[in-house]
Amino acid sequence: MSMEDYDYLFKIVLIGNAGVGKTCLVRRFTQGLFPPGQGATIGVDFMIKTVEIKGEKVKLQIWDTAGQERFRSITQSYYRSANALILTYDITCEDSFRCLPEWLREIEQYANNQVVTILVGNKIDLAEKREVLRQRAEDFAEAQSMLYLETSAKESDNVEKLFLDLACELIREAKQNKLDNNDTAPMPGEGKTISYLSCCSLN
Amino acid sequence: MAAEDLPSEFDVVILGTGLAESVVAAACSRVGQRVLHLDRKSYYAANWASFTFNGLLTWIQQHHESQPEEVQDWSSLLQEGEELIYLSTSDSASISNLQVFCFTSEEDEEEEAQSPDPPNTTEEETVVDDEDAVKETPETESADSKDEETKEKPEESADEEEAGQASHLEGEEPKADKPCPSTAQSQSEATRKKISYAQLVKEGRRFNIDLVSKLMYSRGSLVDLLIKSNVSRYAEFKNVTRILTYRHGNVEQVPCSRADVFASRQLSVVEKRKLMRFLTSCLEETEEQHAYNGRPYLEYLRDQQLGDNLQHFLLHSIAMVTEDTPTEVGLTSTRHFLRCLGRYGNTPFLFPVYGLGEIPQCFCRMCAVFGGIYCLRHSVHCLLVDKDTNRCKAVIDSRGQRISCSHFVVEDSYVAGERKKVATPTRFLSRAVLITDASVLPSDSDQQVSMVTVPPIAAGSPAVKMVELCPSTMTCMPGTYLVHLTCQSVGSAFEDLSPVVTRMFHTPESHDQEKCPSVLWCLYFNMADGSEAEVEGHDLPSNMYLCSGPDGGLGHDHAIRQAELIFQKILPEDDFCPPAPNPEDIIYDGENTSPSAGEEERGGTEERQEGEEEEEEEEEEKQNLQTEE
Ligand SMILES: Cc1cc2nc3c(=O)[nH]c(=O)nc-3n(C[C@H](O)[C@H](O)[C@H](O)COP(=O)(O)OP(=O)(O)OC[C@H]3O[C@@H](n4cnc5c(N)ncnc54)[C@H](O)[C@@H]3O)c2cc1C
Ligand SMILES: Nc1nc2c(ncn2[C@@H]2O[C@H](COP(=O)(O)OP(=O)(O)O)[C@@H](O)[C@H]2O)c(=O)[nH]1
Ligand SMILES: [Mg+2]
Repeated sequence: MSMEDYDYLFKIVLIGNAGVGKTCLVRRFTQGLFPPGQGATIGVDFMIKTVEIKGEKVKLQIWDTAGQERFRSITQSYYRSANALILTYDITCEDSFRCLPEWLREIEQYANNQVVTILVGNKIDLAEKREVLRQRAEDFAEAQSMLYLETSAKESDNVEKLFLDLACELIREAKQNKLDNNDTAPMPGEGKTISYLSCCSLN
Repeated sequence: MAAEDLPSEFDVVILGTGLAESVVAAACSRVGQRVLHLDRKSYYAANWASFTFNGLLTWIQQHHESQPEEVQDWSSLLQEGEELIYLSTSDSASISNLQVFCFTSEEDEEEEAQSPDPPNTTEEETVVDDEDAVKETPETESADSKDEETKEKPEESADEEEAGQASHLEGEEPKADKPCPSTAQSQSEATRKKISYAQLVKEGRRFNIDLVSKLMYSRGSLVDLLIKSNVSRYAEFKNVTRILTYRHGNVEQVPCSRADVFASRQLSVVEKRKLMRFLTSCLEETEEQHAYNGRPYLEYLRDQQLGDNLQHFLLHSIAMVTEDTPTEVGLTSTRHFLRCLGRYGNTPFLFPVYGLGEIPQCFCRMCAVFGGIYCLRHSVHCLLVDKDTNRCKAVIDSRGQRISCSHFVVEDSYVAGERKKVATPTRFLSRAVLITDASVLPSDSDQQVSMVTVPPIAAGSPAVKMVELCPSTMTCMPGTYLVHLTCQSVGSAFEDLSPVVTRMFHTPESHDQEKCPSVLWCLYFNMADGSEAEVEGHDLPSNMYLCSGPDGGLGHDHAIRQAELIFQKILPEDDFCPPAPNPEDIIYDGENTSPSAGEEERGGTEERQEGEEEEEEEEEEKQNLQTEE
């Protein structure tokens, strides 16, 4: 596990109603499969995928909700120190779209100010069952200054693009921040994890 | 969202998301138990929670309004041979004597806040401003009128809160609502005294204000458990950077390392040598020490000819005990302190970034990752107990659903007093939370995290533990410090702690304290002391286990020990929180997952990857099997 194996490490967190396809998006991207079974794999906390963008290695750490969204009980600590949020709804489910403002309130409360948020409408393979028009979602995303993308985890439509676009955006922001060198606010991630602390003092 | 129903069968149902309950949840889920974890509140961690400033104002308000829910009759759900035990519908008993004071001006002083640096609006001027502000603010009454006062205050705060939120929505540009000039260099004198109540509300989400104040001993049972279980990956930590003590009206730094000792200006060369000798010697047990068993540690220290300075440091700041603590106890805590030194930093303590409320949530996440189901705003109204076996067979939740379980773990405050044979706790902790504008001991760095020991300031007064947090712990907004005071109650929190606050800080009641940090806002309250709650010996079903709320100790040993004991009763054969597999070991690298033909057929099989972590993987699979059946 060499830590130097990448140029950037970003934590990406998925949120949105249960059943919209978050877990499928992660598995499609990281493992290249669309699981027929439901739900997250028991005991898997986050998935890792390293991608290369313009010659730079970017390690993406992708966190799923562990099912805590089912009864609206996501821990605040889940949002902490996320670099990007993927807010997902299901284009065939009006209800999952209507819940978005509620999710945005949680983001506003617990996520860090600089977090990059992208709105994703999933399941476009089910075009005939669409309940949320693309224009409506685009307008909503624009009003909230979010990026917007429509995907199908099943058909692998736009899934790669989703994560790669995010990675590009995150790199852009990281470079910008370095330029500005604005240490106005203590950034999340400034603390150290215990394992990191311990390896420092043991060696 | 639609009210989806919960599954109706679990192995373990856990009510309350405090630290002990959350550790039990993680431990059970980790070894394959089906866990349902509930909390009647809308937030995690119960009395262990951390709140944003606005969240805390809401919490205060709720504690004034809380009225028990109506008890419903669920006897229709009874089956043959069962009886009902009703749980308590309110927990108002654990928190009392809430008092809020605001010592800063209500509104922004616009020009000051906007312009980056006319730093020398002179000290005098700012002080005068401040004085004016204090006169204007209505809520500086004395302790006696507390009921009316505290009822008024939260309502007012709630209004402010709405105002604050509204302005957030309008000024959507994330950067616009941040007063950029302040922050990193915000300790500059000009901005120092200028943070208004409106700003506290506006920046409210930058606060994470703990209800309990504790630190993590770097070799304590919580840190050990976090490392062992891999739960530590969900949080980040900071070192407590210095130990301070209050003595002869001054705040002094306690030397904690060899370098500190030699650099110390308070200690003479002779004292330095004595201290080193003493600390080295007390690491081993000696005959001489045994001779002092049962006698006060202070006496032992005196007989070591250490002198006043060293005695003070050793007793109050290193052992953190009182004058009448027996020698063996004093030595044990001294050794614990020394053992914890140097593991992660210069002091024995760590503090979680974003506050202590993160810790129970991290264990809850671990529970969920292994399949535990979470539901806040959801409670259990009663238990169905088999009369013959005296075992709890099922619970009835707050929606009237019957949920069967083999074990039921519940936090003490959910259990009505009359069910308990042993009296409810008579002891309380006194707590104060202050938002201040400067550190009690300014230094080169404005990002110090300090543990401050305050020995009793008068005969009969309690010893006070104080923790001062800086903005980089992500618990307070730039330009402020968050100060937690805790002691065993003698009187109300206000009676116990306001004398210390008045001495160490600048408040309208304090005199000649202009050099001290100013208190912008403060809260006093009492909380039941969990170490006094009796969790054994009640007239309860044999598969029902009580967890107590937070205790007054500085570390977390009490809750962790309790959780481990409960886990061992539920699953005597199983390992307590074995390491969760590291996701880093399940890597799907860009190169390895080049989408190839045939993967659809393979879809759904467990992930496989080459070599190395064979064992871990097997373990993980076993886990999967256990939880899937
Ligand atoms: C005021 C004060 C005085 C202390 N004096 C001593 C002491 O005399 N002897 C001691 O073993 N521990 C002493 N300690 C405790 C010491 O600083 C470490 O906390 C403890 O030894 C833990 O060891 P480590 O290997 O984690 O520490 P590290 O700081 O990594 O120490 C590395 C090595 O140096 C030794 N060492 C550390 N500090 C001292 C010291 N002050 N004098 C001599 N050797 C030292 C350790 O034993 C260890 O072998 C003192 C602590 C305080 C607060
Ligand atoms: N047709 C279609 N179904 C999908 C897609 N993504 C997910 N699903 C299905 O939606 C259901 C929920 O998916 P899941 O990833 O578990 O959702 P989560 O609760 O948000 O994690 C599953 O039955 C998936 O098979 C998609 O892109 N197209
Ligand atoms: Mg999922």
